[in-house]
Amino acid sequence: MQLKFGLISADSHAAFDKDTFTSRMSAAKWGDKIPHVAPSEREGQSIDGWSVYDRRSDTVCNCPAVMGDPFPHWPQRWEEVPRMAYDPHERLKALDIDGVDAEVLFPNPPGGEFHRFGDVQFELDTVQAYNDALADWARVSDRYLPLAIIPYLQEPMEIAREIERSIENGHKGVNVAGRMPKGRPHLADPYWFPLWEACEALGSPIHFHGSAGIGAGTSAKSWDGYSTRQAHSASTSTSAVTPAQIIPQLVFSGVTERFPNLKVVFAEAGIGGLNYVLAACDHEWECRHLWTEGLTTRPSEAVRRQMFVNFWFEAEGIKLRHDIGIDNIMWEADFPHVASYYPKSWDAVERVLDGVSEEDRRKLLYENAIRVYQIDVTPAETR
Amino acid sequence: MELNYGLISVDDHVQEPPDLWTSRLSSSRWADRVPHLERQNGTERWVVDGQVLLGGHAARVGALMGDRNRDPDRWEDVPTAAYRPADRLKAMDAAGVDYSVLFPTVAGLAGETFGSLQDPELELACVQAYNDWLIDEWAGASERFIPQCIVPIWPPDATVREIRRAVERGHRGVVFPSLPMDLRDVPHIADPDYEPVWAVCEELGVPLCLHAGASPGLQYPGTSGLSPTMAAALDAATRPVSSVYVLGLYLFSRVLLRHPKLQVVLAESALSWGMLYLEWADHQFEHDGLDREGYDLTPSEMFHRQCYFNAWYDKVAPFAPYVGADRILWSTNLPQANSTWPRTQETITSCFEGVSPEVREQVLWRNASRLYQI
Repeated sequence: MQLKFGLISADSHAAFDKDTFTSRMSAAKWGDKIPHVAPSEREGQSIDGWSVYDRRSDTVCNCPAVMGDPFPHWPQRWEEVPRMAYDPHERLKALDIDGVDAEVLFPNPPGGEFHRFGDVQFELDTVQAYNDALADWARVSDRYLPLAIIPYLQEPMEIAREIERSIENGHKGVNVAGRMPKGRPHLADPYWFPLWEACEALGSPIHFHGSAGIGAGTSAKSWDGYSTRQAHSASTSTSAVTPAQIIPQLVFSGVTERFPNLKVVFAEAGIGGLNYVLAACDHEWECRHLWTEGLTTRPSEAVRRQMFVNFWFEAEGIKLRHDIGIDNIMWEADFPHVASYYPKSWDAVERVLDGVSEEDRRKLLYENAIRVYQIDVTPAETR
Repeated sequence: MELNYGLISVDDHVQEPPDLWTSRLSSSRWADRVPHLERQNGTERWVVDGQVLLGGHAARVGALMGDRNRDPDRWEDVPTAAYRPADRLKAMDAAGVDYSVLFPTVAGLAGETFGSLQDPELELACVQAYNDWLIDEWAGASERFIPQCIVPIWPPDATVREIRRAVERGHRGVVFPSLPMDLRDVPHIADPDYEPVWAVCEELGVPLCLHAGASPGLQYPGTSGLSPTMAAALDAATRPVSSVYVLGLYLFSRVLLRHPKLQVVLAESALSWGMLYLEWADHQFEHDGLDREGYDLTPSEMFHRQCYFNAWYDKVAPFAPYVGADRILWSTNLPQANSTWPRTQETITSCFEGVSPEVREQVLWRNASRLYQI
């Protein structure tokens, strides 16, 4: 890949065309259960939404950044969804407009959690269709860096096989839920070790995105006094603590000790979460003498060695880049979601990186991503 | 106020003695439903209304034990600095603490224990006994102890009555379990039902203290195979930051906008996640267009006007400029296992590296002396 702009997004979202799943899954086997776009009703109005396993949603595409209005709104009908959200050819134009060289691709509706229907075979078929569809994006252009999703309900060795198959097909890493599906063991349980072993061997990072479904705070009864936008603000900003809830699980349960080369990326969780993790985990390690419990590596060492976080708006946070770890931070666009600065990502980059040295800028904007995702690049020609 | 060391610790815990409730509550009315130490197979554990507390131990006092990872299983093994005010004062002297703001232990690190009782009369009786005891035994022993009352969570007029009674008796802050609807079936904390509670705190000028850990559901529980020490470390590492949800609720639900004089202390919150959260809350506020939804202030502005973080092991220099030196309080967290006691002063030296003497004074005692009117 050639670097034209000197900016790689470590977190963007690929929307899918409406026939993505129907064209890849057996109609004879799954019929209307296959993810597809169907009309639905909200407050007396007819709208479109993704239907999965006969469960209808009222979201057809999460892409407010490309709707052409600075005040965020979401498409109601499929016809309103701009092609650049779901067509990988069209979307290259959006990348050029925004000055972004490449993007790591996370899910968009219908999402990546097909385990929730409890149907083992349906989950596997849908996950494979998803992974195949996204691998096709990487065939359109090497500017797309797809992340595979996993069939949680399979045996761990089978999941590892799907990971290997996907990486072979062009995926750059794996997106994982912070809280494993009901009835399955805890994230830090040895049950899942075959997954981490596979990812470590392949050099493929695992990812926790946003709240990562751990429900930090959402376990509390939700409040019905919020408007939709207020509820969104209140819940989204608590993703600031996702790394602070997940990393201690991996460190104190010995996962980082056992898999020292496993790379773990926290997308859309902000950079400042690591400050807390470094301070809190080291504090507990010191005052409880946790090396006597088999944890020989100081937690902050393991975190700096293995954990990565993304930034995009944090002008204050970026001042702490050396406390956090200058090699552990990557830029993200969150395109085409509401928090994205598209089409003016560079304005935000310049504002947030005001006063940051050239060397640090390079690391933050693309060098760290190139290393984490093992991207093959021809030298940068930054703007 | 007399300062010998220059530290007001805003988060320490008293260990309630075995006879606190049994000597104050009617045994003919409540029998063994009152909080008491129950003997079983040579060990002792706290029980209230059939619920076992403190993980089945006799106290929660790790920092005072020879081995921090072992809480005592018999009352006779509990160090006296945990429950005897005169000995606590010596412990404070040993770590250079002038004043200590008090939270409970058996009644819940965040005052949450009695809120989960299904019988409001038993709840109120337990709460009042604690509040009276703390004034009689601790506040009466030395003015270096700053007592804070606990409250019955529902109905609000009972909460308000108890706050008035307690403050009248000398309490200086209100320990409020931040999400009472997690404790028993009561309305959501952001509902208007609680307005009189916020109003009385404003009127009386007492801070509302929301201690981390009131709702364990806000933390990601660890996997079951961990050793007790590792499980405790994991719990302690994920607890302070779980305050993020509570803070967000107070900022976005407009409680602070409606009660501009209400002061909220996020006790045992730690500090280093706060800057990111505030910056994010403002960013999200802007991108979701909330300036069109009737807020006079952004989330960080509300925070700067009305909230405090409470740190005890974080570095201060990176965060003070944005969070605001006037919005950070310090503590020792004695006698919890992750307290800095007795090396509190050494920890302070390293945490305040690169911090000006003015900011250091603000964080270590000036903010607290203003807030608690010491």
